[in-house]
Amino acid sequence: MSREPTLDRKTAISYKTEEKTVMRGYNLSDLAEEGYSFYDALFVLFQSRIPTKKEEKMLKYEMGVFLEHSMSPSAVGAIGVSAGRPNLPVCIAAAVSTFGGVHGPGAAHGYMLNKYLKRAAEEGKTVDEMAKILVDEYMDAGKPVMGMGQPQHIDSDPRAEPIHLKQEEIELEGVYLEFQRAVEKYFHARRKKDGRSYVGVNVVGSGNTALMEIGFAPNAGWCLGSVVRGFSCAAHALYNMKKGRAWGASRNEPMVQMIDLSMIKYIGPEDRIVPSQDERQEYAKKQKEEGEYKKWVI
Amino acid sequence: MGYLEKDKTDALNQLKKERGIGNLASDKNPFDYHDREYGTMPQDTNRAPFQWVSEVAYKNTHRIVARGYDTTELMEEGYGMIDVLFVDYQARIPSLEEEQMASYVMIIMLEDGLSAPAAISRIVAKSKTFLTQACGASIMSFGHAFGAYSTFGNRMDSYLKKMEQENLSLEEVAKQLVAESEYDEALGISDLMLQDPTADKMIARAEKLGVAGINIKFIKAIEKAAQEKSGESLKIDLLGATGAVMQDLGFTPEATWAILSITRSFGAGAHYIEEVERGKFSRLGEDLSPKENYDGPEDRPVPPIGDREKFAKAAVCKTPQEWAERFESMKQVRGSGFSINEEVKDPSKSSGINKVGKL
Repeated sequence: MSREPTLDRKTAISYKTEEKTVMRGYNLSDLAEEGYSFYDALFVLFQSRIPTKKEEKMLKYEMGVFLEHSMSPSAVGAIGVSAGRPNLPVCIAAAVSTFGGVHGPGAAHGYMLNKYLKRAAEEGKTVDEMAKILVDEYMDAGKPVMGMGQPQHIDSDPRAEPIHLKQEEIELEGVYLEFQRAVEKYFHARRKKDGRSYVGVNVVGSGNTALMEIGFAPNAGWCLGSVVRGFSCAAHALYNMKKGRAWGASRNEPMVQMIDLSMIKYIGPEDRIVPSQDERQEYAKKQKEEGEYKKWVI
Repeated sequence: MGYLEKDKTDALNQLKKERGIGNLASDKNPFDYHDREYGTMPQDTNRAPFQWVSEVAYKNTHRIVARGYDTTELMEEGYGMIDVLFVDYQARIPSLEEEQMASYVMIIMLEDGLSAPAAISRIVAKSKTFLTQACGASIMSFGHAFGAYSTFGNRMDSYLKKMEQENLSLEEVAKQLVAESEYDEALGISDLMLQDPTADKMIARAEKLGVAGINIKFIKAIEKAAQEKSGESLKIDLLGATGAVMQDLGFTPEATWAILSITRSFGAGAHYIEEVERGKFSRLGEDLSPKENYDGPEDRPVPPIGDREKFAKAAVCKTPQEWAERFESMKQVRGSGFSINEEVKDPSKSSGINKVGKL
């Protein structure tokens, strides 16, 4: 059997021979045999190093608390895809791919912190001073401050503050936590001053802070968060595939289904006659001139 | 919105009837095209309104609960991500040994060099995408050959069931399974790990931790049966070891498929990052495909459009014989799909439907 590599690349991550698979210099089998955990292996993967026990504990907590979130865009994506009964990995891929600029924007939060920490270093400002600058710049520009607010957990995200507290409890406080805490302080003060309601820190704000504190780059942190969520989304898809209706539109179910016809609310142009081909050119010209169509363009 | 009022509906239908629209008014249609409603269906008040139904988890404003356990409380009590996998997929807290074994399997599955998941992740990365797209694509590379946990596990389950129903020994069903599997990619036994002790060590660890069960016994019996039948050097491979161990940990074949494909996606994420760091992005039309790799028809002139009917041959066949001949000839056209005959299964056929939500 040919065992040629699928892709010809130079890589610093891993190699595989007939004898072993080696990641960042460590034989994977030896890592497992030695008693290191999967969390340890993730440090090796992304940072090429063995973490301290405290760091490993923090990652275990963060990933555990982030794994399940019931109905979020990721789970709904997985369930929606499962309705057509494709292979299970397709549902999971869809779920992981829902993580973008709004849902679990871990990388965006990380880049924001890094950008302003860099400015603090360059401009000789304290973390606290730079946090106020960040909040003011974002809020003056009408941009959302990454890591704040969650549309479902409107009082405060049940996972968020406990992550901060865990980070403090196991003494992993560094520049990221100090910065994030300061961002939250100035964010709350600014909203209060502006007469706006309280918006708490979300799980990205606290979880990603912890991930960056223990050495993960923004994209690595994003990978950890979005992929770990895939585990629960797969469970939701699997539940629907094994115990739910395919298609999600059966009229024989006692409950209206996800894409039952009655779930559709249409607010587009009214029903209209399709022009014949003879009428086409004149019709199209008139339609373009009148321009009414423009309000429907997306 | 709801349905359009009757007078407007009738007027619109009459207008269409008078002008005629293609074949839509044909008597061969099983409906009267000009007696159809416009607008969306009114909301169904006879049934319970739609809700997301889940046995797995719920959340409210203040808590997230998986299988009855508040997930923040789980972490505060010292549980971790791997424990939540058992909670989500099996609705139970694992023993320490089970958690350790799952962690072991996941370490082994984390990286595999530049195999399909990493390669796909890198190819997606070259388009300048989000990392999450690349991770998603890597999960999609797990099919019924590469990482064939569903096929592997369900076959194991069906033969173990057969063993019970027909009062056979483990060795007897192992022989049957090997004979009927034709050494396909989902057997879990191959020549891939003749020099790599990883699979053997994993099984030894499961036995040492006391979590080995019927699946590990069975894969060992399958290994023996395969060796005897083929007369070749064959061993339990990565699929066989990880699949059997995960099933002994109580995960279904599908849960195993999900968990281990996602585990590899972390590795694929690192490959995305490295590709972006070390590579360059691809532009549309940039990549060339050398002619030496091409074995399709020779270069040929495009016929003048006016001569189309002289050159063109319709695919329509009038008899089954004609159809069979064309079908066979099309197998020579690589990429046409005629050489592939696969069964697209509906997993819901074997599932139990939960009826919920009566008013």
